[in-house]
Formats: sequence, C-alpha cells, structure tokens
Amino acid sequence: MSPLLSIQDLSIAFGTKPDCITVTDRITFDLEAGEILSLVGESGCGKSVTALSILGLLPRTASVLSGKICFDGQNLLTMSSRDLDRIRGNSISMIFQDIMYSLNPVFTIRNQMCEGMICHLGLSRRDAYSRAADLLRRTGLPDPESVLQKYPHQLSGGQRQRVMIAMALACRPKLLIADEPTTALDVTIQMQIMNLLLDLRRETGMAILLITHDIGLVSEFADRMAVMYAGQCVEIGETSRIIARPAHAYTHALLSAVPDVSGVNRHLVSIPGSVPERYDRLKGCRFASRCPMITSCSFRTIPDFREVEPGHLTRCTAFGKGL
Amino acid sequence: METPVIDVRHLSRHFRQKSGGFFRGTTLKAVDDVSFTILPGETFGIVGESGCGKSTVARSIMCLEPPTSGEIFFEGTRIDTLREYRRRGLRPRFQMVFQDSGATLNPRKRIEDILREPMLYHRIGDPHGLDTRIDELLMSVGLGPQARSRYPHEFSGGQRQRLCIARALSINPDLIVLDEPVSALDVSVQAQILNLLQNLQTERHLTYLFISHGLGAVRYISHRIAVMYRGRFVETGPCQTIFDHPAHPYTQALIDAAPSVKERKPRRKLMLSGEIGDAVPTGACPLVHRCPLSDSACLHYKPCLNPVSGEPAHLSACMRNLGAIND
Repeated sequence: MSPLLSIQDLSIAFGTKPDCITVTDRITFDLEAGEILSLVGESGCGKSVTALSILGLLPRTASVLSGKICFDGQNLLTMSSRDLDRIRGNSISMIFQDIMYSLNPVFTIRNQMCEGMICHLGLSRRDAYSRAADLLRRTGLPDPESVLQKYPHQLSGGQRQRVMIAMALACRPKLLIADEPTTALDVTIQMQIMNLLLDLRRETGMAILLITHDIGLVSEFADRMAVMYAGQCVEIGETSRIIARPAHAYTHALLSAVPDVSGVNRHLVSIPGSVPERYDRLKGCRFASRCPMITSCSFRTIPDFREVEPGHLTRCTAFGKGL
Repeated sequence: METPVIDVRHLSRHFRQKSGGFFRGTTLKAVDDVSFTILPGETFGIVGESGCGKSTVARSIMCLEPPTSGEIFFEGTRIDTLREYRRRGLRPRFQMVFQDSGATLNPRKRIEDILREPMLYHRIGDPHGLDTRIDELLMSVGLGPQARSRYPHEFSGGQRQRLCIARALSINPDLIVLDEPVSALDVSVQAQILNLLQNLQTERHLTYLFISHGLGAVRYISHRIAVMYRGRFVETGPCQTIFDHPAHPYTQALIDAAPSVKERKPRRKLMLSGEIGDAVPTGACPLVHRCPLSDSACLHYKPCLNPVSGEPAHLSACMRNLGAIND
C-alpha cells in the first residue's frame, strides 16, 4: 500500500534565479496513515517551509525547484489551485503556531468555524453550528455555546489553540499538519493539547505531521522523527531508536545540549558556532564546521543516506558505525 | 552568617486595573507576599507559567517597579525606599539581562559605544583604558574584538544575548538578574549561553537571579529554586530536592507536563485541568480548581509556605503532603 503522504526530493528556493537561496534540499520522507511523524530542527532549518509547501501556502518569493508531494496518489504540486482548495482544510488541515494571527479578529468563532464546514461538507447553517459546538466540546472547552459567540481576543491562548484544533478537525482530515502547535503555550496547557491530539488520532485515525524544535516533545509523542539541519533532512527513523542511538553527529550533539527536566544531562555540551550562512553553497557535509567528529569522516563530499538499522537512515558518514 | 546579596521580605505588587471592562477597578495581585534571600555566589531560580508574576519580582528587585508593600534589601541596604540619586551609587552592583536581546540594544549604536556608555556613566575604570576593557569584555563572552565596530542587527540572537551579558558585566556587578535569558534561543545556542553563565559565575563569583518558564534550564543552572503560581511562591528549596521529591501538587504537575527526552512517561501522576487565569474565590488555595487532589477544605484555606518533613530548607504551600503519592 502506498503511504498517505510521500515527499520526494523536494527542493525549495527563495529569490530569483542567479542568487536564489535553496532553503530545503532534496527532502524525502513518507507518512503512513495514522502515524505521527515529527520534523524537528532549530529555527531556519526549513521545517516550516516544508510544511507550507504541502498545502501550497508558500509565499510568492519562494519557488519549488524540484520534487514531488504525493497525497493519496495525487501530486499536490502540479494540481490546479481549485483542486487544491478541495483538499485544503478538508482532507489535509493545518494548525499554526501564531494563534493570534490565525483567527480572524473581526468574525466570531461561530462564523469562522462554520464557514469551512458549509463549503467542504455542504452542511446547513444549523447543522454546522451544532457540529461546531460538538467539536469544541470534544477539545475540552467547558462551555462551547458561549465560546462560539465570542471573538478571538476574548479567549486565552489555550482556548484559541483549542478552537484552531476544532476548526482543523471539522472536516475529518486524513492528515493534520501541526506547525509548532504548543510553542506559545505554558507546559501544563501544552500537555493538555498534546494529549488531546493523541486522543483525536486514536478516534479518527488521522496522521499528524508535527513540526517542532522541542526534542522532548518529539520523544514523547512522535512515532517517527526526521531531524533537519540547514535545509537538509539529516536523520530519519523511529523516535525511540534515534533517541537511544542517534546516528548523526548533529542529533547526538542536540541531545546532549538539551537542558532536560529529568536532569539527565549533568553538563550540557554546547555545539560551537552557529548555522553557516548561505549553507546552500556548501559542497560537503553542512554540519562539518561545527562537528566534533570531523576528523573521522569524509566531509568534503555530500553524504548520502545510509541505513544503520531497518528504517533508520542517516547522512553522517562517521557516526553510528561503532555504536 | 553571610549577609545575603538580596533579601526580599513580604514583597507584594498589586496593580489596579483601570481598563479591562468587567475587571475595571479590581486589583490584580501580580506578586503577593513573597519572601526569599539569595546568598553570594548562588543562583536562585524562579520558575512558573506566564503571568505568574516572576518578571514582576525581577523588576521590583531592579527598582523598576515600586512594591505595593514589603522590603527589599541589597547587601543589607534597603533599596526600595532609597531616593533615586542615592540609589545611583548602588546601581552598578546589580544588573539585569532581559529576554528580548534585540530590543534592549540600541540599533543605532555600535557595540563599543553600547559597552562604553555604562562604564562612563558610572565612572568605572580609567577613561583612556576603556578600549582594552571593551576587548576583554567581548573576549569573556566569547566574541572577538572585530565585533566592536558592528551594529546589533549584524548579530544572531545568541550573539546578541552575549552582548547583553557583556554590557551587564561591564560595570562589575555582584548580582545579575536574568529574566528568561535563553527562552528565545535555539537549543544548541541555549547550551552555549547557560555554560557561559556558569563559567562567568565561577570566575567572577557572581550571584544570579534566574527567571524562566523552562524547567530544564532552571534545573541545570540553579542551586535553589522557587516555584511561583499566581503571584505566590508555592514551593521553595534546594533544586535537586524539589525536582526529585516535589512536595506541592503544582510543582509535580509542572515537572510531569514538561516533555522529557529520556522518559516516555506512563508516569504521569498529576495533570492539571483548566488554566492559570481561571477565577478563584478569595480565601481559597489559588490552585483549587485545577488541582486533582483538592477537596472542600482547600476552598476555605489559603496555605502558607511550611517546612516539608525532614528538610528545613524545603518549604511547600499545600495542605497535604505529597510524600504518599510519590511512593
């Protein structure tokens, strides 16, 4: 059976041709139905751009250089915008990080929630309303009827995020893209929201693409993870395996740099330097300038994926061999 | 006994709400009867969710916010009632580093001018020797002398945070108040800054007040911590003790809720419902509606900090002992 979402060799560039910047370089991954895959990486690594490209939401300055995004066997990149409209918000929906700006301040929650259901599902206003109230109740909001009459500014951050989730789920999506869904929230609220997403996945069987920089969140909630660095996917595999036995120098460094609440890292090993500017022009391994294992690998060539365990791929030539 | 660097006694800061529709005219208790001391060379961490009042504590200590009631002593001198011109002599001894490093550096000034200004103002060092001092400062935070003639926007977030630390260090403070210094940074840079802060502390015998909502960072850097909820300390004590044996349900819930790399938790014992802003009746425990352990007694009693059995430095403001749940 083919995967629900399959991204192959996706390269995206910003700017116009001679001096455009390639921000994602040949990203490839599959997402099965009902699975939670996490794209994890630091800011500027291209994870959000990858997510936006799936729904055709890239800004005008960006262009897709190569690659395919197949959803249910259809290539989303070659689809007309009218066909895309049937998929967006319907079988693929998205939750954004900036909850402040993702809800329209001049319409009530009721107005915004019902619009999508009337368009995509052809419900009447009254049916849409009762379904909206039902969805809000499912997301754990205590008094959905009163929330529906309110405007976004009258809700707290956690409430707004719940409204966003309810809206995203309104048309029973097969795939939910969650771009930093809990970054703006406090930890106790984050836990409530993440547990809610897990419950909803169990009920509806949707797949979730979780985009985050929080490696702790990934290790607790994602089935598989893809680590991104400087526009490339550097390691992909099952979460528990990667956390236990990272096979890329960057993943390893990242794990030992997290001040974890369990106190597991007694001494944080910081990664020297910062992400190189214009990393798309580098010829070899993009992590080379910061890598502590640089002597034991051939960093001058662009490393290709190598399988360390079944389903666990890495771009690092040195790491994971002796481990 | 050593004189504490900071001694805060019964600090309260209330805001009268002028606007806000329904809430107009009510009083918001941002900080409510908070007391603590920080000893020389120590890092005291305050952790809590957004809106719990931790930044107001920091601002009160820096005298940026007059307390509604309570006393703040800096090395034995009461500073909250000092007149500004008298306070100026003490100013260089306590400095602050803010969260948003981009907004606290003047975009129109070069780095050398940003670092020179506080030293000129407070007459620190020989005016002719300031150039070498600026180089030293930049070196000590891990930046090269070539940074001198550049402008703030040319630096990344982590580098800007280093510059803010350098500026705070420029006038040889004893205490640095760090308000969410690493929250806006990426993990790899976060570790750099935390390690830098630790190294500077051992080199210069600095005292830190470290404020963050990130439990991991607080656990890593602090010697003692306080957990804050709705303007009150709900638990204080040695860092290790609190993380290993939290006595207050809120602390337990915070630790449980923080995602961890190492443990995929089926160990979730406590989960809070609701949100920090939910209304609480007066005279009740602030956590009453969110706490899974609360009962009718919690509605009528607002607990104060009391020693947890066995450890005199470990205080918790809860009616029940969590020891039974931990086992």
